[in-house]
Amino acid sequence: MTAPEDKPFEEWDRPRQGWMLSGDCRGHRQRTLLLEMTTRALFPTVLVFSLYLLLVGHYGPGGGFAAGLVAGLAFVLRYIAGGSDAAVRLRPPVLIGLGLTVALLTALAPTVVGAPVLATTKLALDVPLIGHVETQTSVFLDVGVYLLIVGVVLDLLRSLGAGIERDMREAGETPS
Amino acid sequence: MTINLVMAATVGVLYGTGFTLLLSRSLMRVLIGVVVLGHGTNLLLQLAGGPPGRAPILGAVAPEEFTDALPQALALTAIVITFALTTFLLALGYRSFVLVGHDEVQDDVEDRRISRQKTPSAGLDDGDGDGDGEATP
Amino acid sequence: MLALIAAHLVVAGLLPLVSARSTRAAFGVAAVLPAAALLWALAGAGPALAGGIDETTAWSPALGLELSFRLDALALAMIVLVSGIGAVILAYCIGYFRPAAPEATRSAAWLLAFAGAMLGLVLADDLLTLYVFWEITSIASFLLVGQGGERKEERRAAVQALFVTVFGGLAMLLGFVLLGEAAGTYRISEILADPPRGGAVTAALLLILLGAFTKSAQLPFHPWLPAAMVAPTPVSAYLHAASMVKAGVYLVARLSPAFADLAVWTVPVLVAGVATMLVGGWRALSATDLKRLLAFGTVSQLGFLMVLFGAGGRVAAMAGIAMLLAHGMFKATLFLIVGAVDHATGTRDVRELSGVGRALPGLAVAAALAAASMAGLPPLIGFVGKEAAFEAFLHGSVENWAVAAGLLLGSVLTVAYSARFLWGAFARKPGRDATSAHGLGPALTVPIWLCAVAGPVLGIATPIVDAEASSYAAALPGDPGYHLALWHGFGLPLLFSAVAVAGGLALHAARDRLAPAAGLSPLDAQRAYEKTLSGIARLAVGVTGRLQVGSLPSYLSTIMVMFVLLPGVAAVLAGAWPTSAPLYHDLIQVPLAIVVVISALAVTRTRRRFTAVLLVGVIGYGVGGLFIVDGAPDLALAQFLVETLSLVAFVFVLRRLPPHFTETRPSRRVRVPKAMLGAVAGFAVAVFALVLSAARSEPATTSAELARLTPEAGATNVISAILVDFRALDTVGEIGVLFVAAAGVASLVLATRYDRQRRAVPAEDGEGPPRQEEDVLG
Repeated sequence: MTAPEDKPFEEWDRPRQGWMLSGDCRGHRQRTLLLEMTTRALFPTVLVFSLYLLLVGHYGPGGGFAAGLVAGLAFVLRYIAGGSDAAVRLRPPVLIGLGLTVALLTALAPTVVGAPVLATTKLALDVPLIGHVETQTSVFLDVGVYLLIVGVVLDLLRSLGAGIERDMREAGETPS
Repeated sequence: MTINLVMAATVGVLYGTGFTLLLSRSLMRVLIGVVVLGHGTNLLLQLAGGPPGRAPILGAVAPEEFTDALPQALALTAIVITFALTTFLLALGYRSFVLVGHDEVQDDVEDRRISRQKTPSAGLDDGDGDGDGEATP
Repeated sequence: MLALIAAHLVVAGLLPLVSARSTRAAFGVAAVLPAAALLWALAGAGPALAGGIDETTAWSPALGLELSFRLDALALAMIVLVSGIGAVILAYCIGYFRPAAPEATRSAAWLLAFAGAMLGLVLADDLLTLYVFWEITSIASFLLVGQGGERKEERRAAVQALFVTVFGGLAMLLGFVLLGEAAGTYRISEILADPPRGGAVTAALLLILLGAFTKSAQLPFHPWLPAAMVAPTPVSAYLHAASMVKAGVYLVARLSPAFADLAVWTVPVLVAGVATMLVGGWRALSATDLKRLLAFGTVSQLGFLMVLFGAGGRVAAMAGIAMLLAHGMFKATLFLIVGAVDHATGTRDVRELSGVGRALPGLAVAAALAAASMAGLPPLIGFVGKEAAFEAFLHGSVENWAVAAGLLLGSVLTVAYSARFLWGAFARKPGRDATSAHGLGPALTVPIWLCAVAGPVLGIATPIVDAEASSYAAALPGDPGYHLALWHGFGLPLLFSAVAVAGGLALHAARDRLAPAAGLSPLDAQRAYEKTLSGIARLAVGVTGRLQVGSLPSYLSTIMVMFVLLPGVAAVLAGAWPTSAPLYHDLIQVPLAIVVVISALAVTRTRRRFTAVLLVGVIGYGVGGLFIVDGAPDLALAQFLVETLSLVAFVFVLRRLPPHFTETRPSRRVRVPKAMLGAVAGFAVAVFALVLSAARSEPATTSAELARLTPEAGATNVISAILVDFRALDTVGEIGVLFVAAAGVASLVLATRYDRQRRAVPAEDGEGPPRQEEDVLG
């Protein structure tokens, strides 16, 4: 992290992602400044909201599936605003595999202590600063579902989104 | 009696629409038919649980006022599966469009050829395909 | 017993590792297990003959499935053939196969696996266990006959053997199920102790006999056995002479004590058996290939054995045991001799062989011993068996005398083709130079002599065979004082034996006039088999052509029509009609339903893709609204999110598709019936919904139960508790589906550009897949 004094002051809040740079954007006809700015504000908010949905699922509407879809929709928004350049660095198949692995490990973990597959138990922890936390081991299954759904949505963006766009470019059609 | 007439009619219309679209030759229409059928099925599943009630979340209301939770859980799974199927069929339709230039379901030419045929094209017991079904003694 | 059988199969699985180094060593290793099985069985002979040794391993007690085995007198006799001859033949293979021949590698493993399966078959005390081993032997036979499948006759013979035996096997399975259900048990020993009776049992017995007849090559299923002679000679000796073809005879022998008093059992067995014995013997007289001659001889002898075991008399059954052992020994010997002759001279055609007896005198003596046993000459075991067989039928009713006459005629033919074999293989034929033959090593001759001396040894040691046979036949009616012996004094049986020998030699003397006549046969079972096959193929084409028209809409229409007709009509006729269905439960349902219905109807009318997709979105959101009204916020949340995402996915694809549906608008004549069919099917679903929900009399109890259990899962949201705890396996499966769908989408979309590139630049063909893979994996 470089200190702010090293940079000229007008560079301070320059976004790191290339897609939000004015000089780096796609054709001006395809650009909607309003959507870009809204996305920039909404994207992290929606991700945090999705985490809330993930954790609240045991007690109210939500759960890993809905949370994953909400997070996925945040990425969809970013794709629509920034185009395929706005892709995340993580490979979607890796995310899918990660989610599947977490879910399967959660499913198989109880067998280590002799319990049936997918058995759950209460998990109580004393976390510094936060205090006593009680949760259920089944939350890990939800985390697995969440990761997998996000991965699936990102993969759809990669294939149906960017993939079709590339096909159109190669076929000489202009994206409409 | 758990289903009222309006809902039964709605489910019927959704299914009828889905079936009709399923019978058309455009893959995109077939796909839309599948989606509509999915909506009808999820609605039917949910309705099977009984008349409207309160959300099945403990604490707020007494459990006697809950709607049946089991069909809901099943319908939730069904929604996800329908989504997966939809994206897959979309990709299938897209690929068909890219490869052959349209997204129509065409009749299988090979099957037509078989139906016109009178004798098997190859004997069962000789793999070289020279026979006409009459095994030579 | 289970361990012994499993050891066969496991070692067979590992045998290719040995074969890779040395095929001779592989056959050596393979011979050890059958030899061990024989020793084990002989060690247990005392208790086995006294009553039988049982062994049961529970497999799935809840389903009543168990693996039960039983060693008794009949099983012991079969093990002598299966394991004893098996060991000898595997040892013979060491000298027979050229080292590193591909068929040697294959045969070693499969012969041992077959030995294990056959051992399981004869030891099984459970109908279903027996069936499984039965089919394994059929498969082993298919693979051993077909070998590499490079030659057309190999393929044809292997497929024929498989078709015929598996057809019979399936019929037999049906019979087993009928019999097992009628008896209330599948344990063979329990069925024998208390045999069921009734119409179902009659059908069961006919089906079981079908299985036994096909496996043991009885008329009219016999042609597969001579055809299977394309297999290597040790395979023919083991499977198609000594053991596998005896499985049908064994099954008849196993069940005869329970069912031999029924005409449905004895009449088919006696008729088919006598006919098979005569036809097989007659056809053997015209064969010029020594293996075919022996194969028809085997067919004939199998018919003989069927008669003996199926008749259900004590003396006949004792004769059956003696003949079973005798036939295994002498036929294996003769096959091994043919293999040796083939090895030494390069041919096994009787028209080419000449003077081999002088070149290989030892082999000729062994062959003479075996052929004498086959012809029924004293003091060999074959003579003992045949004496007892005549004795069994030379009493009582006209039918018995008729069978005895048939057996006499069959014996005449047997003597004739035994003589023909010796003459064909070893005699010096006038006008033919002696065939050049090189000497044979001990690897080939020692196994042959082992089998060959069994004839006289068992003949002299008749009391041992008698103990064995008496133990098996104890349950059957008949003269309890009869014992197998070499000498019963002068009487009708001895006269019959003498007539058989004299008649057979006379037939052989007249061979030049007979052989052409024997070659003619008005009814050719092989032709019938081929006609049946081509008839089935033609039928399949006809049915496929009518049912599989290749049009998706017509398939779907068929399904929908059936759906409306069968369950729909049943619901209307048998269902309880709702007495008082409310119009609506909640007033908000009405406007939401109207939106959904109008959008749905509009979807079918629109010609623009985008409009259709948007309307589907409206339906989805409307259904989501109905979920909220119903009190399902989780469901509604998921529905809204999925609908949005689906809409995005649709739009992504619609970017490239033409704005209108491209299909040519079908004519009214097609469109209206389709819409009508859809409407009727939709109406049927609505009726279902009403009728089925009216059938519900009590409120759901699951809801209360689930709500009670939810706090134990550490949650307050019941839906969540169901998804991640009570039915968590569903959720794991569901994400699996999502994963597969995502992988499929990526493959389908990202692969398209390579298809196009490949079409444009054919030279790049070979480089496509790796790059494509890289792309799909991100």
